[in-house]
Amino acid sequence: MATAMETIKKKTVRINGCVASAQAAKYADVDVIAAYPIRPYTATMMALAQMVANGELDAEYIVADSEHSQLSIAHGASSSGARVFTGSSGVGVQFAYELYSPISGSRMPVQMMIADRTLDPPGDFGSEHTDALSTRDMGWLMGWSCDAQEAFDNHLMAFRIGEDRRVLLPQMVCQDGFFVSHITTDVELPDPGQVKEFLPPYKHPYPLDPRRPVSHGPQIMPEQGPPLQLERARAMEGCMPVIEEIHEEFARIFGRRYDAWLEEYKTDDAEIVFFLQGGHAVTARFAINHMREKGMKVGMVRLRTIRPYPTERVCETLSRFKVVGVIETNMGLGSVSSGGSLYAEAAAALYESPKRPLIMSFMAGMGGEAIVLKEFYWMAQKMIDAQKRGKIEKRTHWVGFEE
Amino acid sequence: MPAIEVQRQTLPILGNPNQGARFYNPDLPASEPFVPGHRTCAGCGPSIQYRMTSKASGDNTILVGPTGCMYVANSSYLCTPYNVPWAHTQIGSAGSFTAGVAAAYEAMIRKGKYKGTFPNVICEAGDGSASDIGLASISGALYRNHDCLIICYDNEQYANTGIQASSRTPYGGMTTFSPPGPKVPEAKTLYPKDLARMMAAGHPHCYVATASVGYPIDLMNKVRKGLNHKGAAYLMIYTPCQKGFVYETPRSIDLGRLVVECGLYPMWEWNPEKREYDYSFRPQTMRPVAEYLKLQGRFGHLHAEHIANLQKFANQQWQMMGVQLPEALIKSADPKNQVNMAASAEAEAVAQTL
Repeated sequence: MATAMETIKKKTVRINGCVASAQAAKYADVDVIAAYPIRPYTATMMALAQMVANGELDAEYIVADSEHSQLSIAHGASSSGARVFTGSSGVGVQFAYELYSPISGSRMPVQMMIADRTLDPPGDFGSEHTDALSTRDMGWLMGWSCDAQEAFDNHLMAFRIGEDRRVLLPQMVCQDGFFVSHITTDVELPDPGQVKEFLPPYKHPYPLDPRRPVSHGPQIMPEQGPPLQLERARAMEGCMPVIEEIHEEFARIFGRRYDAWLEEYKTDDAEIVFFLQGGHAVTARFAINHMREKGMKVGMVRLRTIRPYPTERVCETLSRFKVVGVIETNMGLGSVSSGGSLYAEAAAALYESPKRPLIMSFMAGMGGEAIVLKEFYWMAQKMIDAQKRGKIEKRTHWVGFEE
Repeated sequence: MPAIEVQRQTLPILGNPNQGARFYNPDLPASEPFVPGHRTCAGCGPSIQYRMTSKASGDNTILVGPTGCMYVANSSYLCTPYNVPWAHTQIGSAGSFTAGVAAAYEAMIRKGKYKGTFPNVICEAGDGSASDIGLASISGALYRNHDCLIICYDNEQYANTGIQASSRTPYGGMTTFSPPGPKVPEAKTLYPKDLARMMAAGHPHCYVATASVGYPIDLMNKVRKGLNHKGAAYLMIYTPCQKGFVYETPRSIDLGRLVVECGLYPMWEWNPEKREYDYSFRPQTMRPVAEYLKLQGRFGHLHAEHIANLQKFANQQWQMMGVQLPEALIKSADPKNQVNMAASAEAEAVAQTL
């Protein structure tokens, strides 16, 4: 569409992650928004409320009575054929827990924005990924953005992926609380025409429509369960090529190219790599630059999409290195590594590799603390020590609590 | 793009010349959105209500079914009794899921994404959903005034889970969570949550009414009034449960009348325009509560004092509606004028062996 390209009116604005998410919902022309306040994601809903009040966006803006209601409203509206946007943080994500499986099980492409927050106790505004990660096996597409631009882009891509007839799955589009949600950066907003080209109107094949009556979610007998579960599992597995295809299409229309699964940073000759998700990647890049100046062969692999989990890609990629240090930023109490939950999945993905790297887990960025440069250096040293030793000292290190 | 005006339905009110009469021949709409083929018990009050309600609302209707009997026993995969769109939702999501459906249609019609008249959006919540776990979600939907009708089919217990007490279970009602025993001879010690009045008081802009399967035309008209009301409406309907109340199957409709006649289920409407209660519904007769209680096994353990307590409660209900109490009912509130249920000794023994 060469002629269309000439008339494209993009603009660059300075906004934070929360507002970038709200902008994405506006560009997607959502029909129903279900809001409930909890920090830090609230700013997204504040921005949307203002857009509706200004008449910039025509949507039903519902102030729900809880997160459980938010997700139920989203479920009902999506089931009726509307494009739906909701969101939450921390314990709010968990208050709605009951709805995650019903929404993915009824194959409703609800979109939920998450700005991470620690879980209680005690109340803490900081970012930890445990809130969203605790729902990771409920059949939602899920991934983390590391800055506001990527958040905007991920929201648009997630709508397109989730609403694709070959997929029909809900999406959790996650960003770190504060590190992404409240850091203001330059974000390029597209021309509405580009969005129109990229994101067709939402049309569910079987909405609640009196002209074509259907029953959603009737009671089943035990033997009717497995085929339905298998179908949902296949949808999750089968959407991987669709996700790649849509990332390509996004690059073609918007000119920003993302690998659907992994971002690699300075990994060409790297021997040790950090493996992480989300906003701490920005600091990691700086730390790696500093360490590179000292001649350390260190790089980073950032997981962009955790559901569906790119097992083959993680296996192939991480097998190229000598030591992998998983930065968790989530709680997996009593888990296989007694640390977080990312380790277990990365280790499982590597199990069939003929050339397994050493792998260890770092509990860093907990409570929403920044992972400072010297902590990256400390972690890198632990990885180098393990490389020399040919053996890890232990599976999980709590960064800042050890020598 | 300019917003498209949302067209809404107006359903005619049915003629009801002989309200309260035992026999009459009503002129009913032909549509049957709720058809046979479900797995509810014989004489199931909630499913009788379901048929009447959906018949009143017609084919341009969307039904929302939070978990409860009318989900579990009604809908079987590949074989559901709904001729109109229906969706299950979680037991705590009654009001919220319904709000989502209504909001979706507002937006889709306004934005030209759906071409048609706004559907009747009806939620069929059991009393467990409506009075306990989904209370906040329903209050939210009423407060926000989505154009929908939320029905509580009130069988006064959690029935499909095997008869457990809800906030609507009456004083003296035996359930598996409120059994009688030497320490608690009356079984349920708490009086039911006054759910419908709570909804009217808290959401006075809504049409709110109580109804009973004993008065089908009245019930169907209240459904239509609720649907015609632009905004949210709430209807609480007495629907006896043969399995939980333990009565002779053919007596469901009979109980639906007796419960009103004995004052345990006040019938009223809340008029949102005038902001006042309408107590003009009058049953043909007034009866002592014992006539209603004695037909049901769930009250078989009651002693004279418990029956008197229930009579006292019923008398208060009559008085709230401004009804002059006959001398006989005042006397019935005195335990001296009551006798133990005939089966009370046996009922206690049975309950204790469970």
